[in-house]
Amino acid sequence: MSTIWLTLYVLVWPVIVAVVLGVLVTAFTKEWLESRRTGEDLV
Amino acid sequence: MVQFSIPLILLLLLLFYGGTFWISVRIGKRNENADGYMTAGNKLGFGISAASMTATWIWASSLYASATSGYTYGISGPIHYGLWGALMILFIYPFGRRIRAVAPKAHTLAEVMFARHGRSSQLMLAGSNVVGSVISLMSNFLAGGVLIALLSPLNFIQGVFTVALGVLLYSLWSGFRASVLTDFVQVVAMLGAVVVIVPVIFFAAGFPAAFEIGAANLTAQQSNFFSSEAFLKQGAPYIAAVLAYAIGNQTIAQRLFAVDERLIKPTFITATVGYGATVIGIGMLGVLALYLGIEPVDGDVNNIIPQMALTYLPPILLVLFFIMVIGALSSTADSDLAALSSIAMADVYGQNVAGKKNANPRTMLLIGRITMVLATAVAISFASLQLSILDLLVFVGALWGALVFPVIASFYWKKVTNKAFTVSVLVALACFLPVRFGWFPVDGAMGYLVDVFNVIGIGVVLGLMVFGFFGLRPAVTVGLIAMVASAPFVIGFLHDYATLSGSLVAYAVSAVVCFAMSVRSKENFDFAVIKRRTGDFDPEPEERHPDDSPEQLAPVPAAKGNQQ
Repeated sequence: MSTIWLTLYVLVWPVIVAVVLGVLVTAFTKEWLESRRTGEDLV
Repeated sequence: MVQFSIPLILLLLLLFYGGTFWISVRIGKRNENADGYMTAGNKLGFGISAASMTATWIWASSLYASATSGYTYGISGPIHYGLWGALMILFIYPFGRRIRAVAPKAHTLAEVMFARHGRSSQLMLAGSNVVGSVISLMSNFLAGGVLIALLSPLNFIQGVFTVALGVLLYSLWSGFRASVLTDFVQVVAMLGAVVVIVPVIFFAAGFPAAFEIGAANLTAQQSNFFSSEAFLKQGAPYIAAVLAYAIGNQTIAQRLFAVDERLIKPTFITATVGYGATVIGIGMLGVLALYLGIEPVDGDVNNIIPQMALTYLPPILLVLFFIMVIGALSSTADSDLAALSSIAMADVYGQNVAGKKNANPRTMLLIGRITMVLATAVAISFASLQLSILDLLVFVGALWGALVFPVIASFYWKKVTNKAFTVSVLVALACFLPVRFGWFPVDGAMGYLVDVFNVIGIGVVLGLMVFGFFGLRPAVTVGLIAMVASAPFVIGFLHDYATLSGSLVAYAVSAVVCFAMSVRSKENFDFAVIKRRTGDFDPEPEERHPDDSPEQLAPVPAAKGNQQ
């Protein structure tokens, strides 16, 4: 693999992790706000 | 080597475990619900479920092992660890939907096996779950002890005790509810750390230029993305274990029963991507270390990640790294405690000691909490022995391989009997052990016999994977094609790889025996029975079904209801 492909190969994973983290935080925040609004337990 | 001072390490541990304890106190109830303690009411949302699944599946060993794989096998190494580990989550979700459909309010997979077959099947599955969770718990405490000893003046034993008591502290009162909520905080810390740490080390270590300078440090196999060595020694045994770990691990089953049934698919897919990217990303540190020509301290490749962190991270990010590893091991350890307590509550007490009609939720809670304390004590004791965790896990994974076909078949095929389940698992274990540990020479005719089972095992594994997504006909087709296509390469060759062979033999023998004993059976099981025989331990009277056995129909004593 060339240097540029190796660089992309190593650094793509933190980018994917950042996307997943964004999805999780967004979904959790919605659920938390919903539970506060309805008065139901989050868990 | 840079170390944290004692006040700093104590402050970090206090903040981490104090914070998680504070979260558990915020959700704690004076009278906890026994079913909530095990599955949090079966209606968890997507965000918290996916975060919990991701956090639970990422443990300290997976971070270390992925980097070890990268350091040992080169650029494809982390893929051959992280990708297959991630697929363990993905491949269980179609089966998970079926399991939830037939047992929407169960707590453990073993509990469902009790309803499907009876006691022997249940206890075999529960027993394998307990062994796996205790090993996992021990491994995480051990990793915590090693990390604290490496980064601070505290010693290994002090580190083990600190981590174990910290996890027990926040898990004890609210059980699974505390586990899933703290998992969210821990996964944010872990994933956030990966996003920052990997690029920082990459540039601080002189990459991308170091790829050219250090290329000579890699062998031809290590430089090859399609390395056969990496596949055969690392990837293939994990592919074989994909279904086994998912079926045999109660921490996964527990989250399967906890999430809102409609959200199983997005939850599992998100956790698959989250786990895979995190573990492969950290594994890249092993690849970078290989390019840099770094020698692991004391020759122990588990030291690669801490070495890279200590060498290239500034102090503030070293703190983040510490929190990442402590978060990884704590989130899995609390899940193991919750899993063990659920098995003791539902499978041991609920189904076998008191019986479902007499099971008292208050007593169940007490048993669950006592189990957590005992499991912590046992895991601390074993952790001090510093056993080879990965060897133990590979062994347990192969043991779980013997259960995969009988368990999955039991959810779809009406003909599978308790006898077929039990006998097939025991025969598979009897064949697995000598192959895995080389109790007899596997050359000559015996080697060919083992390879025939290896071929069948390959067909069973791939067939089951396809079956989950596409159904029986494509599964049989793929399984047969896989056997025919692999036979020329496997026969006379694969028996030399004892780990992989043992696992494939376990799959093959259990599938063949279970099929042979079931195909002519007169059993015509009604899957609707499972839904009625599992579920809450204080069900409403109208939930009972007139077809249930007298034992199932017995009224619930009013005195035991302490539910909220």
